[in-house]
Amino acid sequence: MIRTKTGRSIAIALVVLAVVVAAVYLVPRLRTRGPAEVQKVSEEMRAVTIFFGNKSADGFVSETREVPVAQGFEDQVKLVLAELIKGSRDSDKIAAMPDGTELIQVFWVEDTQTLVLDFNNAFTANHPGGSTGEYYTISNIVKTVAANFPQVARVQFLIEGNQVESIAGHYAVDKPIDVKKWR
Amino acid sequence: MTTRPGSVVLMALVCAAFLPCMPRVAHAAAAEKSLGVVYADGRQTEDVPLAKLDKDSDELFVSAYDLARIFKATKFWNPDNRKLVLRIGNHRYMLTLDTRVVVVDETPVLLRMNVRFDEGSIMIPLEFIEGVLAPRSVEKIALDRARLLLSIGSPEYNVTGLEIVDDKDGTRALLALTDELLYHIDSDTPGILRLKIYGGRLNPLKFTLPEGKGLLNRVRAEQVEQDAYLFFDVRKTVQRYRVEFEGEGAAAAAAGKKTPRKLVLFLERGKLPEIPGADFAGKKMVEMLDEGAKRKMIEPVRKIAIDPGHGGSDSGRMGPSGAREKDVNLAIALMLRDRLKEELGIDVVMTRTDDVLVPLDERVEKANAAGAQLFISIHCNGWFTSDAEGFEVFFLAPARTAEEAQLARDENASIAYEKQNASEGSGGDIDFILWDMVQNEYLTESSDLAEMVQREMSTSLGIRNRGVKQTGLRVLKGLKMPGVLVETAFISNPKEEQLLLSPEFRERFIESAIEAIRKFQGRYAGKG
Repeated sequence: MIRTKTGRSIAIALVVLAVVVAAVYLVPRLRTRGPAEVQKVSEEMRAVTIFFGNKSADGFVSETREVPVAQGFEDQVKLVLAELIKGSRDSDKIAAMPDGTELIQVFWVEDTQTLVLDFNNAFTANHPGGSTGEYYTISNIVKTVAANFPQVARVQFLIEGNQVESIAGHYAVDKPIDVKKWR
Repeated sequence: MTTRPGSVVLMALVCAAFLPCMPRVAHAAAAEKSLGVVYADGRQTEDVPLAKLDKDSDELFVSAYDLARIFKATKFWNPDNRKLVLRIGNHRYMLTLDTRVVVVDETPVLLRMNVRFDEGSIMIPLEFIEGVLAPRSVEKIALDRARLLLSIGSPEYNVTGLEIVDDKDGTRALLALTDELLYHIDSDTPGILRLKIYGGRLNPLKFTLPEGKGLLNRVRAEQVEQDAYLFFDVRKTVQRYRVEFEGEGAAAAAAGKKTPRKLVLFLERGKLPEIPGADFAGKKMVEMLDEGAKRKMIEPVRKIAIDPGHGGSDSGRMGPSGAREKDVNLAIALMLRDRLKEELGIDVVMTRTDDVLVPLDERVEKANAAGAQLFISIHCNGWFTSDAEGFEVFFLAPARTAEEAQLARDENASIAYEKQNASEGSGGDIDFILWDMVQNEYLTESSDLAEMVQREMSTSLGIRNRGVKQTGLRVLKGLKMPGVLVETAFISNPKEEQLLLSPEFRERFIESAIEAIRKFQGRYAGKG
């Protein structure tokens, strides 16, 4: 009981932190440049590694993509995860992203090296379920983040700004996931 | 998007540089070689084509495309001055086509060979990796020219060495570990002893010995996701085997300290009494358990908690023909409850008996409060396509070690200090950590139960065995007893959905679960 309450209070503190970070960093940015500019094609491209589950859900397969070099770290994360959400043309590579998944916003909390990923409601509502499905949904994101952004120590999932206990009922995502320990 | 003059030409050239190297490989067929790349960051090991481009030199070249990918470089190619800029880590490397000069940040360095353009690719001599990148990299970069093997990053192996000693009593394989890790050994395949080290990380190349010694024919190692596997191919003259941690250090390990340990596999020769039911490689063998495995649980199991996954508004996974996971879980769980009572006289606590949603924490609390001695959660699996199949068994990944828990406590204490007025929950954090530690205590039992359930299911279910896995499943956290979660089959697979609905399949599952519990009783309750 106490445990739950505390978990919740840590979590709430985190959300508050995330919102503060959002307010401080994002609001001025949104004012100065439109979201379309995030996608700006520069000559500089970066090779990134995207992780997928294989067709039989018993291993990971990676794919290298080229994405534009973004100006900010959060934008870069967004561009990389957009590649995962887009999925692969190869039918043996399963992104395990529920239909309609959108990554609304990314926040970087430098102090705790926590990457906060705010997804839309479809991410949980349209998740087909099954622990293996849920495992790859989380793992593909965590592994893709780890492979391309070594500075990230923790990943926190939010759904439209709120914490959730789990994505499909098996794995706890209310607290940040330790990238190195995720298995 | 801004359009610059010449950008089309630039894009075309960049694209050319990105093209796969097929024409070049065909052209350089005589000198075709490849570089094996081993990553520490989870990327798959791969082979990258190399080319020998100079008839007067043996130097091999790698394409800029592959190089940038391997080192996750940002690359920028300027066709006007024929310069390629790579940003790797904190350094900027500027290479110029048909020259030997590399400008690292502001300092020029000379290569022995020119960077060149060949069959549509910018080709860089391997010397660049060895002499320029490696000394400046934060990550460890090691190029083995003899074997053409490049390894990147320090993987922090925790299974670090293997030594084989043979004497008159038998053969010993000594595995050096940086910490006491959980393991499991089985001999399901005749002649092969399979040692699984949970959370073990090893370099498979180093542990694969084509020629053994004494009773050991050969050793093969694999890294499968987070766990390490060693396969010992043993002689038929082996009479018995056992595995244990060598010597002292057990006390330190029990206190949660990280201590280097030696895990020893003993293979013994000589005539020993035959033990029924332990058939191995045509001989009778006995598996002697390590000391750690038989310490607790001397009481017979009298009460088991059964947890039918999902329920109420949470239907779990839906099958292609409409079967709902929550219903299948409940039906199987109720059947298991009745049979456990009948056949083993065991009391059963159910986390739910109706179609209701019970929060995960509440399920754990119910089992704890009832004083259950084992916890079995029953689920059906699901995947994004209909392809995945089989059953699997999970137990909880080790929570924090004592050291990490202390660190977390310190962190929590400082957070609590900073937010003195925010809430009164600081005592709860410590509670939470203690709960984590409680589960660590049951790791060996949980792993054994999981392996036993898996083995029984493997012989009776007739579907693919996906093995035993360790993960951070929410419903197993906080249990004051060994616990496993069973994914009986994939309800998302049409064939397995039908199986899950069939009484025969359910019966086979119930039988294997009962048999596993019986064996678990035998292992733990029979000793101590």
